[in-house]
Amino acid sequence: MTTLSSHVSSRPIPNPKNSLITKLNAGTGLIVGVVFAVATYNLLKGENEDPGIAYNIHNRALLAAMFMWSIGFLVGIGAFIGPWRWLIGKDLTAEEQLYLAGDGQGIKRYFKYCTDHKVVGIQYLWGVITLLGVGGAMAMMIRTNLAAPGGHFITASVYNSLVGLHGITMIIAMIIVATGPFGNYIMPIMIGAADMAFPRLNALSWWVLFTAIPVLCSAWFLGGIPTGWTAYAPLSIQAGPGMNAFIATIIIFAVSTAVAGSNITATVIAMRAKGMTWNRVPIFVIGATISVALAVPAFPTFMVSMIMTALDRTYMTGFFDANIGGSGWLYAHLFWIMGHPEVYVILIPGVAVLMEIVPVFVRMPLFSYIGAVVGFAGIAGLSILVWAHHMYMSGWMPMLNGPFMVTTEMISIPTGLIFLVMLGTLWHGKPWLKLPMLGVYAFLWNMLVGGITGIYLSDVPADNYLHGSMYVTAHFHYTLMGAALTGAVAGLAYWFPKMTGRMLNERAGYVSFWLIQIGFQVLYLGMFTAGAEGQPRRVVNYASQFATANRISTVGAYLVGTGFVVLLWAVVHSWRHGKIAPMNPWGAKSLEWTVPYPVPLVNFDTPPVVTSDPYGYGKAVK
Amino acid sequence: MSEHNVDLKPTPGDRFTTFLKRKDIRETLAWAAFYTAGFVVLGGVFYTKWMPTSLSTDMKSIERLMVIFTWISAPVCGLVLSIATYTFRHGTRGDVPPEDGPPIRTNFLGVASFGAMAGILTLTAVVYGLIEMNSASEAAAKDAPSALIVEVTGSQWVWSFNYPAQGVSSNELMLPKGQPVIFKIHSVDVNHSFWPVQLGIKADANHFQTTSVTTTPNKLGRLDVKCAELCGLYHAYMETEGAVVEPADFNNWVTQNGGHSA
Repeated sequence: MTTLSSHVSSRPIPNPKNSLITKLNAGTGLIVGVVFAVATYNLLKGENEDPGIAYNIHNRALLAAMFMWSIGFLVGIGAFIGPWRWLIGKDLTAEEQLYLAGDGQGIKRYFKYCTDHKVVGIQYLWGVITLLGVGGAMAMMIRTNLAAPGGHFITASVYNSLVGLHGITMIIAMIIVATGPFGNYIMPIMIGAADMAFPRLNALSWWVLFTAIPVLCSAWFLGGIPTGWTAYAPLSIQAGPGMNAFIATIIIFAVSTAVAGSNITATVIAMRAKGMTWNRVPIFVIGATISVALAVPAFPTFMVSMIMTALDRTYMTGFFDANIGGSGWLYAHLFWIMGHPEVYVILIPGVAVLMEIVPVFVRMPLFSYIGAVVGFAGIAGLSILVWAHHMYMSGWMPMLNGPFMVTTEMISIPTGLIFLVMLGTLWHGKPWLKLPMLGVYAFLWNMLVGGITGIYLSDVPADNYLHGSMYVTAHFHYTLMGAALTGAVAGLAYWFPKMTGRMLNERAGYVSFWLIQIGFQVLYLGMFTAGAEGQPRRVVNYASQFATANRISTVGAYLVGTGFVVLLWAVVHSWRHGKIAPMNPWGAKSLEWTVPYPVPLVNFDTPPVVTSDPYGYGKAVK
Repeated sequence: MSEHNVDLKPTPGDRFTTFLKRKDIRETLAWAAFYTAGFVVLGGVFYTKWMPTSLSTDMKSIERLMVIFTWISAPVCGLVLSIATYTFRHGTRGDVPPEDGPPIRTNFLGVASFGAMAGILTLTAVVYGLIEMNSASEAAAKDAPSALIVEVTGSQWVWSFNYPAQGVSSNELMLPKGQPVIFKIHSVDVNHSFWPVQLGIKADANHFQTTSVTTTPNKLGRLDVKCAELCGLYHAYMETEGAVVEPADFNNWVTQNGGHSA
């Protein structure tokens, strides 16, 4: 508490029990948010005889209502109290700051604007679990519909919405899957910090993201989205009111990632423990920082593309509408300038989690730390130069297909380094085959398949055939799900003892691991085959020639789904009844294992001093 | 493990022989051979078995490229999976962390040779792809004067084909064998993607610009035309059929549909 009490000023300290901040929580946020949204909608809605103008007015009212919901919620939960008090010259007192950090408030603090990074980490974890659950349920519906040709299970309209909403839900979930829970809970402890650099912004990033979830869900009740998560124009401009929910979600989410990304970057730069020089920073921290630092420039283009889509839909500005001089290619560029870095924003933290795990379970130093850093940085650097490989077939500048093919395939080199680091650490080791370590093996296989199929897709002639087919879908699920999500699940198993004080149920963990990984291979082997046979993506129905491949896929999907249900059960059950965890169950050497559970409010009683990197394993050499 | 005889000062040749005699190296190499062979077979079988009958040289070269790329990557798969399998087999279970291994931080030769291998393989893939692209565009330029022009129009959710020189419009895609064809593609509404599957070509149909793509059908057979870009409600049903037929049959088809043979 020493750091906080130093802020106590000479002014009389008000009793925080009377302060407004004690009265605000997610409930008041909900009320103010709904009031703001309903009032805004009713103010702006209007009628017009011209259906085009009526469409514009309706979109305006809906979009404004969604943004006002988000702002209202934040007002209601007290997100702006800090800046407001600063503006009127009555800054928050030390006692109030302690209150905001959730000190001694038990479970209630998870529903408040709480600045403690550990609370934010748990909030993100449940946010991720919710999003993965919703996205996964949609995936099960998609696969059920595709189990047999005919597509009678759901209508084409519902199917298209499912495809798009599954996509965007999973993309959002996967962007925060590692940097949210582990980046917030574990990372500050890993670098020996008392909290994040900007604790209030940390709370803001979570609650802003939270407000995006109901907006995204509202897309269902507004008729869904017909465009897929790529939201290509001009399809997005002729789409129904559900599209507004998609647009608002992306804009709100982009604000959240900008806030979170700047905060994590600033924390890592400024808050490291004494002695933690750059070559002693744990590799997960390096990966998470490179990932969020890549998101900071990437996401604004997505946000801009959505603002322009919104303007096209509300004022007929015609950025993307060819009828009034726009171009769909402009949208595709803005989208993919975000879209390709974004897959590495997802991939890098998941891989970095696994790299953190390997040395601990092999009991050897991380092989070629510099190789790992160069690998991550190389992937991040090249990823901003490859976006147009998504547009080989669009007709835009065929002359540039060659250069984009070169930059894309060059990513194999830093990706190779990532493999080298993992393999080099494994070699000569006798790994401890616990659940987190199994994730490393699953990653090696899945990323191998995902990476190699990526080379086919980056090749222009091969892409002539494969583009827009199920082959692409199988490829990116291998990388994003097979590699990044596997990494995040391994990270959950690894850090579960530190985040909950209990061990994750091992037996259930193993069962879920093998169900998920075996099901995954079955699922996407079927999908690769369907793609090779020539089945396009995002189709509600298909010709009978693809029936076998799709049936196999669906069987695999059910295995994966069952595996995740088992995992969810293991998490919930172990959280409440699991074996009490020792302080350092894995015998790891990084700082987060030096603090007890529950982790004290400021993490360390005395700020730690670091004298080496956390990979000093190894018996003495003869 | 790395317990070499340091006292004997072995020559590089001796060291290599000793290296190959190590048990861990032998087992890993055996796994590497197994996985490499597995991927070579898989590459040879999977794509040739599952990809549809090729009706053009473009499609044939894509099929070949998929097989060759799999073969090029087979040794990489062998390396990664052999090390993974070896260490997995020699892993430990139980509740106590195992003993520490040797404190290897890096290995210059290992990193350098791995980096060089990755670079060479990438370069091979890049060069191979560029050569294929170049030969396709050269062939297209050479064939242009004698080509049959087909105007392809995508609309929600129908493909239609217009043969301007023949004065024929149709919803099925008929092509004469052996004659180069230039597709001029555009959309009247949202983005579509024109995909005559067995021809191994694809191009988006945009509202604001016409795109074109060239190929030469060289075999008789059925054609499936699909849309490869999500275009709204009935995207899945935006497909039609066609065929590559003998030139004489094509001319018959043209006259039957009210056109004139060019």
